Amino acid sequence: MNENPEKTTHFGYKTVAETEKASMVADVFHSVATKYDVMNDLMSFGIHRLWKRQTIASSGVRKGHHVLDLAGGTGDLTAKFSQLVGDTGQVVLGDINSSMLKVGREKLHNLGLVGNIDYVQMNAEALPFPDNSFDLITIAFGLRNVTDQNKALRSMYRILKPGGRLLVLEFSKPEHEVLSKAYDFYSFNLLPKMGELVANDGESYKYLAESIRMHPDQETLKAMMNDAGFEQTTYQNLTGGIVALHRGFKY
Amino acid sequence: MLNNFIVALVERILNTALKLDTTLSDRLAPIAQQRLLIDIRDWQQQFLVVFTGQQLHLYNTTEQQFDCMISADIQTLMALKNPAMLTQLIRQDKLDLQGDLHIAQGFSNAFAALDIDWPEHLSTYLGDAPAQQLWQLLKQAKQQGKKTNKQLATTLTTLCQDELKVTIHPLELEQFKQHTRQLKSHTAQLELRINQLLQAK
Repeated sequence: MNENPEKTTHFGYKTVAETEKASMVADVFHSVATKYDVMNDLMSFGIHRLWKRQTIASSGVRKGHHVLDLAGGTGDLTAKFSQLVGDTGQVVLGDINSSMLKVGREKLHNLGLVGNIDYVQMNAEALPFPDNSFDLITIAFGLRNVTDQNKALRSMYRILKPGGRLLVLEFSKPEHEVLSKAYDFYSFNLLPKMGELVANDGESYKYLAESIRMHPDQETLKAMMNDAGFEQTTYQNLTGGIVALHRGFKY
Repeated sequence: MLNNFIVALVERILNTALKLDTTLSDRLAPIAQQRLLIDIRDWQQQFLVVFTGQQLHLYNTTEQQFDCMISADIQTLMALKNPAMLTQLIRQDKLDLQGDLHIAQGFSNAFAALDIDWPEHLSTYLGDAPAQQLWQLLKQAKQQGKKTNKQLATTLTTLCQDELKVTIHPLELEQFKQHTRQLKSHTAQLELRINQLLQAK
């Protein structure tokens, strides 16, 4: 009798059962949640703030809009969107990880941002919203952690309104060889040590470096978005392609 | 990324001004959540400005969604320090405006009336009397600086015109222009006379 082999996927450079990936990613983010913002600033020398500014500049967000900040974690983008959509708009900060959501909620409350933000724990592969709900969906540094990225992209497409757009901000493939080598050295040698020193968790930052290498490159992600139904999909390389901002529309 | 960094810096300065001038928020309130897109033609850059009620947001963008757009050269935009210039510049075709004029006027008026009580803010660090003294000193230094600048400009002009003779006096230029115009007029008359004689022949 033939048994169906268990489906596998990658967790960094390791091969794991698909059913296990989500809980392994969850463990990583439960561990890093309280130090997440500090580590972002440290690891990227503050440049992640400029990547996120570019995301907002490309969003077309305005008052009254409904926005989903998926894998929004500690709420960097939500903090800006909440102000830009105003009292007549709504922002949903969605994340699969309760620890990250907790940190995000505290941070946004401390900033005085209440009233037009909802916090929802959700899985990007099965978004719990009706069709055509949002004007804008953003997912910043979260897609590479999703087990079935194609399923997540289709789910995002479903809940976008016609005319709405998806912005995917994610680590990608550097454009130049020299930068790529320097980036590899930094990622595999320095990041885990910084993680160990500051967050007391070198393994999670080793996963970060490995998961970036396993993530689709710019053209592949563009094709995946097109397959999910998005149109006029484009991408912009930031910081030499270390990060890419993909944008697709639903018509 | 350098663009984004500079824009982030300017945004920080604008929000600092918002904190220091306690009435700026009130002046901007009527245009809260309205998007002003500033297209600087000679820089080929566009900037979106939004006051959200709490903060000013500034982004370098290629998006074409706005409630009001101003398109002009940087020199023309600097002239908007005087809000009264806005309609004049539009009539002179130096500035192109689309959307709600009141949004552009709102931003212009709000910033033209910017009034930061520097002695008050300095006094939280230095105390009242030292803050006032420092402020007076800075004002005097600024006036002295303006005076020195003017003197330097006059000295340099005199040097170039009278001593080194590398530039000419504006009156000399005007005279030269007048002579050229007269010569042009005489030449035109001569040409007409020649054509008349040729036709008579």
